Amino acid sequence: MIKDTRYIDWFKLDNAAKIFPAVSNKKETNTFRVQFALVEAVDPELLQLAADAIIERYPMFKVRLKVGFFWSYFDYNSSPFYVEPLPTQVCGQLSPKENNGYLFKIYYRNNLIALEVFHSLSDGSGAVTLMKSLVYEYLSLKGYKLTPDNLILTRDSLPTIEEYEDSHGTYYNAKNRRHVPEKKAFGIKGTPIPDGHIGLISGTLSTKEVVDLARRNQATVTEYLAAVMMYMIYITQIKYREHLKANQKPVKLFIPVNLRKHFPSQTLRNFTNFVKTDMVMARPDISLEEIMQLVKEQFKKGMTKEELIRKMSENVAFEKNVLLRVTPYFLKRYMLKIGYQIMGLSLNTMSFTNIGRIDLPESMKPYIDNVSAAVYSGKFNTLNVAITSFEDKFKITFTRSIIETTIEREFFRFFTSMGMHLEIESNYVEEYK
Amino acid sequence: MKHCDKCYVDIQTNQKYCPLCHQVLSGEDDPNLKEVYPEYVPLRREVLPLTKKILLFTTIVSILVLLSINLLTWDGSFWSLIPIGAIIYFWLIVRYGVLSKQNIAFKLALLTTVLVAILNLIDQNYGPVSDRGWALDYVTPFAFLACNLAISVIIWIRRINYRDYMFYLISIIIFSLIPVILVLFKVINITWPAISAFGAAVFILLFIIFFFPKSIKEEIKKRFHL
Repeated sequence: MIKDTRYIDWFKLDNAAKIFPAVSNKKETNTFRVQFALVEAVDPELLQLAADAIIERYPMFKVRLKVGFFWSYFDYNSSPFYVEPLPTQVCGQLSPKENNGYLFKIYYRNNLIALEVFHSLSDGSGAVTLMKSLVYEYLSLKGYKLTPDNLILTRDSLPTIEEYEDSHGTYYNAKNRRHVPEKKAFGIKGTPIPDGHIGLISGTLSTKEVVDLARRNQATVTEYLAAVMMYMIYITQIKYREHLKANQKPVKLFIPVNLRKHFPSQTLRNFTNFVKTDMVMARPDISLEEIMQLVKEQFKKGMTKEELIRKMSENVAFEKNVLLRVTPYFLKRYMLKIGYQIMGLSLNTMSFTNIGRIDLPESMKPYIDNVSAAVYSGKFNTLNVAITSFEDKFKITFTRSIIETTIEREFFRFFTSMGMHLEIESNYVEEYK
Repeated sequence: MKHCDKCYVDIQTNQKYCPLCHQVLSGEDDPNLKEVYPEYVPLRREVLPLTKKILLFTTIVSILVLLSINLLTWDGSFWSLIPIGAIIYFWLIVRYGVLSKQNIAFKLALLTTVLVAILNLIDQNYGPVSDRGWALDYVTPFAFLACNLAISVIIWIRRINYRDYMFYLISIIIFSLIPVILVLFKVINITWPAISAFGAAVFILLFIIFFFPKSIKEEIKKRFHL
């Protein structure tokens, strides 16, 4: 029997992925969602066919997580995969023991197709690529004439070894790996939603208007929105609370950076790093302009090649640490958990993801209404944001693990008060008791 | 399309309130509208089912009763540990044999190993000294032999991907070499069960080495990569 060389039998988790299986649970699920809304209702049977075909094209998703003696690893998964109707729970836990071992789910509802991925498998960019292929395949099966225009990995193309690559290991620099200690971040407090449910509120603005607005302020869209978000956190959470100001922790937004744009990587697995905005807001008179200035500077500093490589190499150095490597996995789990407690979530106020523009072939565009994304929210990062834009629909999706919607409200009112048109969606978690 | 006059936002829903400020929305309900996201259904709380409660209750009560009778009629031995061991093994079967989602090779390997351990403990500590040794002589080799054959037959008959099972099969094969080593060190006196278990294990091992040579190497590489 000739072995099918398209499949790698098993592979190690990439540098960023290694942490997630050890620290994920029901509350901190480390799952995110990418969702395409089509123009017409989705046919589940066709979607199943499309999913079957596309999973063969994405062998790095056709895996199950297994525990070895020193590390866990991904092993080829021969079980069938099933699409499911969209559940209430947004970005729920994807346990390696359920779902036939698959660490991602494909959902449908009315005209929505949603993909939820456990962060060990891939990052936002990888998920969007998979989702584009899936929707392309689905629409083709429906009988529409589409052309991929080099924007889609179609089912008849071959997976390449480069798509499996752990690019952190390829591009890190052992000499530039200084650890920079960080302070704990301010956390947004609130009343937890029962049962660990996640509330989702998504607003659609006009892409053109948002881009124009950012340009008028001499900033990129991400910089501008991050600054507005910082300002809204300041107004709603800090400004009028004197007791908080006395011992103020800095407000920090964790903003993922897609490293494929900085390095020639083809990988479909994790390859992201981050910039952080960081500001101590213990003053009564902070203005949006002041924050904007600071955010721009911090972006400039954080996005330099040296800084990106430093952050990446710091993580790779941690992974390559001999002591950590020779520790058996059942002990290593605890080491990773403790490390994540200290150096992970508590250093961010909010994770603020801008996936950016979704490029689709012209022939596909008429069938798609909008694209959005969502990130899980947990115990510490109680409110997170994911942003996507497709054509003129600029979608900002808030996910929260608390009942309060103050920040969302002020954030969206900031735009409507300027006369911009805004349409919202909600999963109305708070209305059902 | 509904509208919130306070937030100046539009929303397509049949809900009454604005999700941002909880004011009443203006506009009419659309009977044909399907909500974008499904309704919130409270999660099923995982309360213990009644059968499990009863079983757990009887288990704990019987363990306590056994212990007290044993202590009240003390005759120099902890005989109550034998039924208590059996009860605990029953729970292991329920937890890892029936309810677990692990694969069947893991279940068989785990339950066999624990059974062998329990029976050996009983053998070593109870009964007249002259009768001791049955667990090592007979039970250990035969239990591993049975487990070996069971896993091999399951892999063979169900034609499933052997890769998920290989690790457990190999561990059981290695375990079934133990009785022969004990024979060599004269701990076991009755040799034929040990040798037949050894023979079967070596046969299966050779079969894997000859016909699936890469699988063992791969399995070790996978499980032990640094």
